[in-house]
Amino acid sequence: MSDLLGQFISESRDLLEKAAEGLLALEKAPDDGELVNTIFRSVHTLKGASGLFEIAPLTRLVHAGEDLLGAVRAGTLMLDPGTVDLLLDGLDQVGRWLDDLEAAGCLPDGADSLSDGMVARQRALLGAVTAADGVVTVAAGVAQTAAPWLADFSEAERLAAMERALDGARVWAVEYRPDSQCFFNGEDPVHLARQLPDLLALRIAPLMELPALADYDPFVCAVRFQLLTAAPGEAVRDLFRYVEEQVDIVGVEPRHFVLLDGDRIDGPLYEDFAENALGWLERGDAPRLRTAARTLLGLTGAATHQASGLRALLAALGADDCNRPLPGWLNALVEAIASGADPDWTAAPLSAGTAGAAEPAGTAVAIGLDEDSRTILRAQLRLLDSPCAAEVRLGHLEAAAAAVRNILRAGGHLDDTLEGTLAKAVGDNDPASLRAALVALLGVEPAAVPAVVPESASEPARGGGRPAERMLEEVRTETAAAQKVLKVDQGKVDSLMNLIGELVVAKNGLPYLSRRAEQIYASREMAREIKDQHAVIDRIAQELQEAIMAVRMLPVGQMFQRFPRLVRDLARRLDKRIELVVTGEETEADKTVIESLVDPLVHMIRNAIDHGIEPPEDRLAAGKPEAGTIRLSACQENDRVVIEVSDDGAGIDPAAIRRKAVQRGLLAAEAAEALSDADAVNLVFAPGFSTKEQVSDLSGRGVGMDVVRTAVEKAGGTVTLTSTLGGGTAVRLAVPLTMAVTRVMSVDVSGHAFGVPMDIIAETVRIPQARIHSIRGDEAFVLRDTVVPVVRLGRLLDLPETAERPEEEAVMVVRFGKERLGVVVDGFRESLEVIVKPMDGILAGMPGYSGTALLGDGRVLLVLDLKELV
Amino acid sequence: MPIRFEKTMAVLEGVCAVEEAESLLDWLKGRKRPRVDLGRCEHLHTAVLQLLIAAKPAVVAWPEDAEWRRWVVAAFPAEMPS
Repeated sequence: MSDLLGQFISESRDLLEKAAEGLLALEKAPDDGELVNTIFRSVHTLKGASGLFEIAPLTRLVHAGEDLLGAVRAGTLMLDPGTVDLLLDGLDQVGRWLDDLEAAGCLPDGADSLSDGMVARQRALLGAVTAADGVVTVAAGVAQTAAPWLADFSEAERLAAMERALDGARVWAVEYRPDSQCFFNGEDPVHLARQLPDLLALRIAPLMELPALADYDPFVCAVRFQLLTAAPGEAVRDLFRYVEEQVDIVGVEPRHFVLLDGDRIDGPLYEDFAENALGWLERGDAPRLRTAARTLLGLTGAATHQASGLRALLAALGADDCNRPLPGWLNALVEAIASGADPDWTAAPLSAGTAGAAEPAGTAVAIGLDEDSRTILRAQLRLLDSPCAAEVRLGHLEAAAAAVRNILRAGGHLDDTLEGTLAKAVGDNDPASLRAALVALLGVEPAAVPAVVPESASEPARGGGRPAERMLEEVRTETAAAQKVLKVDQGKVDSLMNLIGELVVAKNGLPYLSRRAEQIYASREMAREIKDQHAVIDRIAQELQEAIMAVRMLPVGQMFQRFPRLVRDLARRLDKRIELVVTGEETEADKTVIESLVDPLVHMIRNAIDHGIEPPEDRLAAGKPEAGTIRLSACQENDRVVIEVSDDGAGIDPAAIRRKAVQRGLLAAEAAEALSDADAVNLVFAPGFSTKEQVSDLSGRGVGMDVVRTAVEKAGGTVTLTSTLGGGTAVRLAVPLTMAVTRVMSVDVSGHAFGVPMDIIAETVRIPQARIHSIRGDEAFVLRDTVVPVVRLGRLLDLPETAERPEEEAVMVVRFGKERLGVVVDGFRESLEVIVKPMDGILAGMPGYSGTALLGDGRVLLVLDLKELV
Repeated sequence: MPIRFEKTMAVLEGVCAVEEAESLLDWLKGRKRPRVDLGRCEHLHTAVLQLLIAAKPAVVAWPEDAEWRRWVVAAFPAEMPS
């Protein structure tokens, strides 16, 4: 994937998010004009940027959405929930396509028809297809009307263009009205328009009377461009693709260039001429018609209607040696000359001259080369024309000949003559003959081949580079203006963090060095200096660590952004009325922590909507407001971030939970009865527990709250649930702010050191041997009136036990949820802040270890996952 | 400097960027019969060209570059080059 595409994808996702968020807000406050503008801008920018890539279905879909939003902005379309649905669906589809683009680099099959369907639905809302997609219709070859401003061109210009059209070129009338503020975007419309190839005629005119110099603002663009070009339609649209909405591109029929002008004169002369002329036209006798028309023109005043008609006729007939077919509409022109009226084109039958005006005539049409092949052939022509050293020239020649041969063979156009020409050109090292063959194939004059824009002209203004670069620059400046944010690949931040971790470890080696300096080399002074240096490096390393943590910190609001949409969609589907109240979005936590919480939160919110909030009628019957409220809050408590989802719904019935638990075989009936209500509701976290009888569309697929608990615990967090029957339910997640640095306590077992994560250690105690009782082979002791089972870590790890047990055992009391367990070790050592690296390679699957950490003296500390061990 | 300002004549050379529009405007404001020499001009930013359309100075020399001359002429349909 190219950098450009990657950047486009990541920026487009932001834009999509912004637009979706805006739409939801707009639904609540439909009169907020600023909001509409924001959404419109996001979609507009997205559309513009998408034009850089070959993803037309996506661009079309975004364009349709933009038009809808434009109508909303203009006040011609009311924004109802249905419209919002449609727009959101469109944005979702774009999002999915972005995923596809990221994965495969292209849109999936069927994107075209999918896009068409969605576009049609969006367009249907707009009523008739608006003028905004004029460009699209031109592409389909539908629009054939002439631009009214053709009359602004001189007759000579028009007739020259007509001749080009009659010679087989498709002539496009392009009107380009640059945005008045376009200079500020670094645009130079003149420069852009100058790149239009095969320009036949042009006008640059002010849009209105320009103000006097005293009031003149040099930075407001107020001109428009009217251009006639014989370049391929694709090339024209391509050139203006970033300013699509400022450009009208219309295909012009040859006859549309005929605009008769001047005084009308009557006379039998013209009627006689017309009578004869129609006969000649019928017989296709161009030479006689030409002679007669010339003679008559000599007798007619130049500024008359008739003269102008005769000039058009002569231009259509062409020079003496011209033998192109006579267009059928000449009949109408001749009649107009006779009557002095404007030609009635509707009466004119379509003829070969007009119908076949798709592509330049010549050999190319004769052998039917498609546009792609022509592009490649044109490129070969450019290659041959490019200046280069003599020894390279032969290489160019061979490459060009090979390309031409392949193109022709692929199209089935390669015959012996051509093959011979190609071989001879290479054999004789004669580029001129290959060039001539190419020109013949393309049916173009060499001059008509678009040349590369000279370097000097391509940098006339700031940001005036090639379109792709300029687009990117535009996007960049926009981003820079909005927020000074650097987008960095997460991998880079991670590797930076790893490096800092290693720095910390290396730094921790200094105290050992200082000790050695003192003990072995007996240099106290040296030792002290090393210590001083260590203090400095320590401070810097700590600040570095904090800084990199801050980089990884994200406000939880980023994760919360998706929930208004979720709540809205689900509530609509279930016919419930639900308000989502979000607080504490600014609370920050590590990116990985936040990401690990997304799925659990989605699940919890779905539960709240599906199981928690009652249908409106039930709520009214219970004396509650019709609309339910779901509160999503976040706050920081010490080194943990606490996220709570609460609803004011039906709450959980502890009796039902007990019943269900027994039914599912999770608990014995007596055990269930013995549970307190608060403990009973927490049974929903048990694996395979789901209370709702009916499996609904949203939740209750058997994967219940246990998934939430597993995910949260994986992130080192805890989850608790409180519920009042009839009053609502609250689920509280508490997770560490960051998973990067873990506090571990190192313990000694049989001469080995192990790390145990501090967050599961409740306390460390020394218990006299006598107080550890053996109950049916299992050991336990009583700690503050509670029986705590005891395990020996050495046994768990299968390490040889020390021969004699000490008087007092060192016991680490760890907590798993609500259970406590005493773990006997040989001794406690210091607590450390380490960066735990997961096991990889063949050790990756080893149970009982969460990873390794490097100590200051270079030793490796194995960090235990006690929960897995016991 | 792409624009050289003389007493009654501005000589525009090479590529005139958008930034030149302001100084050209200032110069034009102080002249009764300004003249411009575009002989060695290769490109005018739209802002500069538009300013010339508004100020209608006398063009003493049209661009030598034939392709570019078409564009400048297109902006001054009344004043064809000799």
